[in-house]
Amino acid sequence: MTTIPGMGLVRGMGLTLSRFFQPKATIMWPEQQADVAPKFRGRLQLLYDEYGTLKCETCFQCAQACPIECIDMGGMDTRGRFHVHWGPAETYGERREESAARRSGRPVADATFDRFDAIDLAAVDEVLDAHDYDPKALLPMLEQIQAAYGYLPVAALKQLSRKSGAWYAYVYGSATSYRHLRLEPPTVAAAAPAGEAHRAAEAGYLASLDAALSGKAGA
Amino acid sequence: MTTFLTTPSGWPPVLLGRAGAIAADPWDLDAAVRAGAFEGLRAAVQHGPTGTIAEVGAAGLRGRGGAGFATGDKWRAAAGMDTDQRYVVANGYGADPATQIDAALLAADPWSVIEGLVIAAFAVGATEAILAVRGEDPALVARLEGAVAEAEAAGFVGDDVAGSGRRVTVTVRGLQGSYMLGEETVLIKALEGRRAAPDQRPPYPTERGLFDRPTVVNNIVTLAAVPWIMKNGAAAFAAIGAQDAPGTALVQLRGPAGAGIAEVPLGTPLRDIIALVGGAGSHGLKALLVGGPTGGFLPVDALDTPYTYAALRAAGAHVGSGSIVIADSRACIVDLARVLTRFSADQACGKSIPCRIGLRRLSEIGDRAAAGLPRAGDADLAADLTHDIAASALCDHERTATFALATVLRYFRSELDDHLLRSTCPAGVCTPIAVAGGAASRGASA
Ligand SMILES: Cc1cc2nc3c(=O)[nH]c(=O)nc-3n(C[C@H](O)[C@H](O)[C@H](O)COP(=O)(O)O)c2cc1C
Ligand code: SF4
Ligand code: FES
Repeated sequence: MTTIPGMGLVRGMGLTLSRFFQPKATIMWPEQQADVAPKFRGRLQLLYDEYGTLKCETCFQCAQACPIECIDMGGMDTRGRFHVHWGPAETYGERREESAARRSGRPVADATFDRFDAIDLAAVDEVLDAHDYDPKALLPMLEQIQAAYGYLPVAALKQLSRKSGAWYAYVYGSATSYRHLRLEPPTVAAAAPAGEAHRAAEAGYLASLDAALSGKAGA
Repeated sequence: MTTFLTTPSGWPPVLLGRAGAIAADPWDLDAAVRAGAFEGLRAAVQHGPTGTIAEVGAAGLRGRGGAGFATGDKWRAAAGMDTDQRYVVANGYGADPATQIDAALLAADPWSVIEGLVIAAFAVGATEAILAVRGEDPALVARLEGAVAEAEAAGFVGDDVAGSGRRVTVTVRGLQGSYMLGEETVLIKALEGRRAAPDQRPPYPTERGLFDRPTVVNNIVTLAAVPWIMKNGAAAFAAIGAQDAPGTALVQLRGPAGAGIAEVPLGTPLRDIIALVGGAGSHGLKALLVGGPTGGFLPVDALDTPYTYAALRAAGAHVGSGSIVIADSRACIVDLARVLTRFSADQACGKSIPCRIGLRRLSEIGDRAAAGLPRAGDADLAADLTHDIAASALCDHERTATFALATVLRYFRSELDDHLLRSTCPAGVCTPIAVAGGAASRGASA
């Protein structure tokens, strides 16, 4: 084992040189499409834009796709629904920053902690039992839970997820897809009525369109 | 309620042909039958399932839900699948909040939709058909349920459809959700009660749709044309409208001088269509927004474009929700494009990255241009982004959501440049420009 001075350098340069002539892995997506497994989702890394704001839109798609539910979300989503809490608050604190509120189009601070309060889960269990804990009956179960509590408390959604085996992200995402389901108690003064996020988006669009067509700046 | 416009006498009525005769009470089955309802179903039973699909294929009927897919091909694909169950879904969700075509058709002649749906189910061999409409109006859902029950009592729906020995049950479902619910894979998920986000196609719903069974999803206007085809023959239908897109479509017009819904033969030049509501009125035409929130802006030069799927697509717009909005010289195209792009970005479900982030960035460019605070390279960035979003999109929403800004770049570049480079708004709509600091120096350096 003799050491030849400078051999490490030569080896290192050799590796560099051989890599240099190997085919490149970078492609010009989306002009070129890579051949990847359908399950491939890429590595999850939250990116910041040039304003220093997280690019995550809190859409829950990554949490829903994650096979071992290791991704959690907290904060506000793009539609201004501000009860997206799941997981320890300290970990996801950044999604409650003012910048997150701005991006979600919601100028107010988040006032949702009470929706985490423990509730009497008996009604949820009853609904689950009636549907044989079958996640395929998600929508009827959500509707019946709303009928029992007047809204969908976070604790009830968690119970539904735990007992039926459906991802919490999936349960939450389904609950927010439908106009007639509500996640705020009707008694909270500031609470939007059921489906308000969808309806407000439509009304805002119609008003802006009216204004823009008549030569006024839309909101 | 949006009114129907009177059209020139040379324009044949297909979809609304019966609406006048049953206007006294559109929900009266006996009156509708006297006016010819369910004659198409009888003809279909005589043709048999394969013959019915052949007839619809020969008629050249294309989907009125926006994409214009050949209906005969869709039915044939579903009918050819080896399976224990098939479904037919009538898409009457009417996603565009500014368009009431679906509601107007259901109010004017609900029977043509029910009949078309039953024919479709008979033809593809589905025993279950679903009529999906907006659930905000429980009265409409109840009336449709009543109408289906009446049709069942009269033997047009149910165990033995019009004496054919085949079973077709029709279920009415009222759905309440977001804009995306109109997309066919989302609609299927909503019917299953799952989270509403699009799925990748293929596999198309005709292979794996509702409950993983072959499913035909058709717009209700498409289905309403089917009874007419079965009754009057494929050749008569193919003779109407454009060669590559026969038949008529329902178009919702909105202009400064008037508004309403009209039945228009496909292939009619845009000029003749907007004449129905008096064109652009006294202020002069600036642009036509064709296709609803995800539509494109067409300039005055494009007025001779025929209203067909291919010609509109080539011009940068699409049939979309069937709406045509006339913008006169008071409107700022950049501001309008910004409003549309923001709506599309807000409605994007978030499942794919171009949809979630790309559309938002695109709408931010529009916001900056309208606010008089553009950044260097914004026009190039917009051009790149519209291309990349369309190229990498998962669903048609993202692809078409880029049309607004893409057509601004294509036809109204000088107006966009006025905003971006000279910080002025020719229409005088975007106000912050007047106070934008550095406007003069930016103008000088441009
Ligand atoms: C964002 C989005 C919204 C849509 N909304 C509707 C709708 O409201 N009604 C409809 O019939 N089709 C809608 N479509 C088109 C459907 O996906 C589907 O193509 C259509 O229902 C098929 O029927 P057709 O072949 O008769 O056109 C939408 C598509 C997209 C991408
Ligand atoms: S929640 Fe949505 S936007 Fe945020 S990281 Fe996950 S997939 Fe991306
Ligand atoms: S809108 Fe979500 S994938 Fe297209």
